[in-house]
Amino acid sequence: MWKATIRSLMGHKLRLILTGIAVILGVGFVTGTLVLSDTLNTTFDTLFKGVNAGIDAQVRSPKSFNEQSDFGGGGASFHQPVPAALVDEVRQIPGVAAAAGSAASETTVLIDTKGKAIQPMGPPTLGFSFQPDPRLTTLKVKEGRRPSGPTEVAIDDYTVKKYGFHLGGPVKVLTNGPVRTYTLVGTIRIGTADSLLGATVTAFDPATAQQAFNLSDRWSTITVKAASGVSDSELRDRISTRLAGRYEAVTGGQLAKENASDVQKNIGFFKTVLLVFAGVSLLVGTFLIVNTFNIIIAQRTRELALLRALGARRRQVMGSVVGEAVMTAVFCSIVGVGFGVLAAIGLKGLLNAFGFKLPAGPLVVKAGSIIAGLIVGFVVTVLSSLLPARRATHVAPLEALRETSVPPVTSTRRRVVAGAAMGVAGVALLLAGLAGGGVSLVGLGALLTFLAVSFLAPLVARPVAGAIGAPIARVFKFPGRMARENATRHPRRTAATAAALMIGLALVTLVTVLSSSAQVSANRAIDHAFTADYIVKTRQFSNFPETLATDLRSLREVEAVAPFAFGQFKIDGATKQMSSVDPREFAKLGNLKAIEGTLPSDKDIALLVDEKTSTDHHWHAGDVLTVEFSKTGKQQLPIKAVYAKNELIGKYLVTESTFRANFTAQGTNVVVARKASGVSDTQARAAVDRVAKTYPSVEVQDQTELKAEQRKQINQFLFIMLALLIFSILIALIGVVNTLVLSIFERTHELGLLRAVGTTRRQTRRMIRWESVIIAVFGTLLGMVVGVFFGWALVTALHDQGITSLVVPFGYLFVFVVIAVIAGMVAAILPARRAARLNVLLAISSE
Amino acid sequence: MTAPSITTTAARAVELVKVYGHGETAVRALDRVSIEFPSGQFNAIMGPSGSGKSTLMHCLAGLDSVTSGQVFIGETDITKLNDNQLTLLRRDKVGFIFQAYNLVPTLTAIENITLPMAIAGRAPDQAWVDQIVDTVGLRDRLHHRPSELSGGQQQRVAAARALASRPDIIYADEPTGNLDSKASAEILEFLADSVRGLGQTIVMVTHDPNAASYSQRVVFLEDGRAVDEMLDPTADRVLDRMKAMGA
Repeated sequence: MWKATIRSLMGHKLRLILTGIAVILGVGFVTGTLVLSDTLNTTFDTLFKGVNAGIDAQVRSPKSFNEQSDFGGGGASFHQPVPAALVDEVRQIPGVAAAAGSAASETTVLIDTKGKAIQPMGPPTLGFSFQPDPRLTTLKVKEGRRPSGPTEVAIDDYTVKKYGFHLGGPVKVLTNGPVRTYTLVGTIRIGTADSLLGATVTAFDPATAQQAFNLSDRWSTITVKAASGVSDSELRDRISTRLAGRYEAVTGGQLAKENASDVQKNIGFFKTVLLVFAGVSLLVGTFLIVNTFNIIIAQRTRELALLRALGARRRQVMGSVVGEAVMTAVFCSIVGVGFGVLAAIGLKGLLNAFGFKLPAGPLVVKAGSIIAGLIVGFVVTVLSSLLPARRATHVAPLEALRETSVPPVTSTRRRVVAGAAMGVAGVALLLAGLAGGGVSLVGLGALLTFLAVSFLAPLVARPVAGAIGAPIARVFKFPGRMARENATRHPRRTAATAAALMIGLALVTLVTVLSSSAQVSANRAIDHAFTADYIVKTRQFSNFPETLATDLRSLREVEAVAPFAFGQFKIDGATKQMSSVDPREFAKLGNLKAIEGTLPSDKDIALLVDEKTSTDHHWHAGDVLTVEFSKTGKQQLPIKAVYAKNELIGKYLVTESTFRANFTAQGTNVVVARKASGVSDTQARAAVDRVAKTYPSVEVQDQTELKAEQRKQINQFLFIMLALLIFSILIALIGVVNTLVLSIFERTHELGLLRAVGTTRRQTRRMIRWESVIIAVFGTLLGMVVGVFFGWALVTALHDQGITSLVVPFGYLFVFVVIAVIAGMVAAILPARRAARLNVLLAISSE
Repeated sequence: MTAPSITTTAARAVELVKVYGHGETAVRALDRVSIEFPSGQFNAIMGPSGSGKSTLMHCLAGLDSVTSGQVFIGETDITKLNDNQLTLLRRDKVGFIFQAYNLVPTLTAIENITLPMAIAGRAPDQAWVDQIVDTVGLRDRLHHRPSELSGGQQQRVAAARALASRPDIIYADEPTGNLDSKASAEILEFLADSVRGLGQTIVMVTHDPNAASYSQRVVFLEDGRAVDEMLDPTADRVLDRMKAMGA
């Protein structure tokens, strides 16, 4: 029996290779992601151990929620600064040899030699104080010297080299005011590292840093050196006991772990996304494997029946099919793991391309990742073969004697019932998940929906594929008609092949619907909320100095200026996004109207909520709400007004005075301005641009430019998603190739007959090509239907996140169909050539 | 019907040699066969297994290449044609009936009958197709697929297809090999009729003396050579001749 299995495998090398590619790609994707994440983890551990080496202990405020909206951030731990006076208190604690206040900032932006702000896509822009006492800093001078006094800085070695700064030369830095020019006196290393993952690191004298980072008489943290004979943990415990309840102390080792885990949370998101796409590829691969084994078994029916007739037991027949799967699985999983290691190198390069400067280091290939890859590949392949194998055991010995093989007919009713049940369950889970049930419910729901569609697809395969083929049959006459017949003759096979393609296309359609909807929603929101002439902001909506708004106000070309700050506070323990602006000033140029109460003056301590929030929570003007700020804790805020929906503001608004009193971070996220009447647009814009130029991190936009920027960002998201989905579509196309090759093998006699009675090679190729196109377009249409449904569900669920209009992008969908036609033709190249090269004589000779 | 007044040649082979393999293992399947098939005649090729009768037919029909010699269909030397020209020649000038796999399973009977015209993108001659359909008696089965037809009906569809494009010559390779005697008789009767009544030319390969008896002329092949021929054969005479050959 094993001999027969091996023969069968080797006899169909092409089939083996095609099925194998699907497994290899899927396993490779999974292994690659795991290897990359191990590599990154090890890299970060080593890096931050180096970075924090030499710190004995750090004193800081207890962890609190981040008052700054961390757009896309991984929720890194956040600590409020400590008062400067605490340093002296710490110095008194026995066991402390030295202590000093340290300042740190994430919004210290360097300006390159061309005057542009250096803001890498991923890594942060950090600023630190450089302690004169070498025992209290992890920074080390590599070249030059430590900065001292108010006009000197040192910059990390990597950034200096990358942007061509010169030791002794001027460097422009943006911190909390207009750009200032410093002298670069040294290049630094952070612990043992030349670069902190590509972040720009600027170091100042402590007093300079404190002033530049707007800390006034506070420090971000206090760095402590232990007296000799006192261990780090002992030191930590002593400080903690002394400052119990008010402040906390951690050792350098703990700090390294925290840093690493913060970064890993960021990368963790990336890892999850990659694993999801790897999973999609595997799912498509599963469809492909099931389909291939099904076809093979249909073709081997006579052989299997003969084996049965000669006395092979069912178990042996099953074993022969599963055996083939096991051998494919073992081979392809091993190759796939190898491919995955290569993929990890590629993905690491991709991260570098996004601006993360990963320290050089060997790839960390853990046994766990390899084993996981092998197991996934093995289990998926073997499980996929079980269903077809079970079918093989039902081949009756008598079928060996039958002239033509009749495809097994399963009851249509059972198929409908099973498919419909799965569909209902899938859609229910999906909607429940989107309504707040969680991502795993959504995933499970989507999976069930895919299965349901692939179950029901054979029922519509004949009419739909027939309809797709109708114009082809009309235009391409005989080959077109035959292609149509062939695509509809095995509805199950066509449907299964198309279903694999459906998965990728559904996801492609989903992200396209989502991004188109987001785009239209964004445009609408801009039209509605942005009635000012200019908006000034950084690309990431990050902080910039408040002085920009002051500078703008001094322009006579501008008559209203409203600076916005965004932040977070908590209501009943739940974190909420809020905005701060002068309500009356903003009302002059923006769409802010009080529905209840009156807009408060900026001097008032006041909260405003939008209409929907008011209705949802029964909050009205005159109520007093308890909210919690990161800096000041619980505060009573009077609701002074309820305003009509405004997309720029969001649900909660506080006056600027309220913001100043309760936030550590000052600065501005957005400034909107209106030009003075009687001033030309060009004049006003030139004036605004002139001011903005002194703050290189910001850009000035009018409504059209803002829309264009939104469009660009959304398209970027779209293209990244499409790039990740290409894998699964490639695997599905391999499935089309596989089905065609197997079908051609099955139709050898028929093709031979057609060639004998006068079908040219060219017509034969056309026939196969159009059959492939019909299958590809069928899969694409199925995917689009599912994708549009997913898109609808997701857009509905995201209504509160600002995606308010559902847009089905027919233009894109049309392009996808065109691409499907081309992809179908490409997939048909090899099978068509095989069919055309068929030896006519062999094909028509019986057996 | 208008039987041709001057006998022309529908197909002929001149010094036809077909060798399979090389060197030591070379097999000479056809050894300088020269033979003519006049238009309007029902010819049978007979011989024991391995005599080269199928190979001869394949070479005569342009389905297989020749080692040396010439094959003419009408006045065309088909050994000089490339694959595409050969394909078009088969489509327009030659009809085929095979032992099995004669029909495209996805097409109905009438679609199979008009297949060569469909391939050529030509409209079939409706009156002619009607006449053939009535002759083979398939009027009520036209819209059935091959899987819904009996073996005999399938071969009748194949025969109708071979005739439908008015080819210069029809090659039939063991057309009754898979049929019972009643269905066989029907097909052979039909082929003979098409020669008598419609002036068709047929070359049929068979090993069945009874089938051969429907033809007007039997060519005997032995070891790749045409060794004998017999006009107006009967089953008994053919059987005797075959016995003499040791078949």
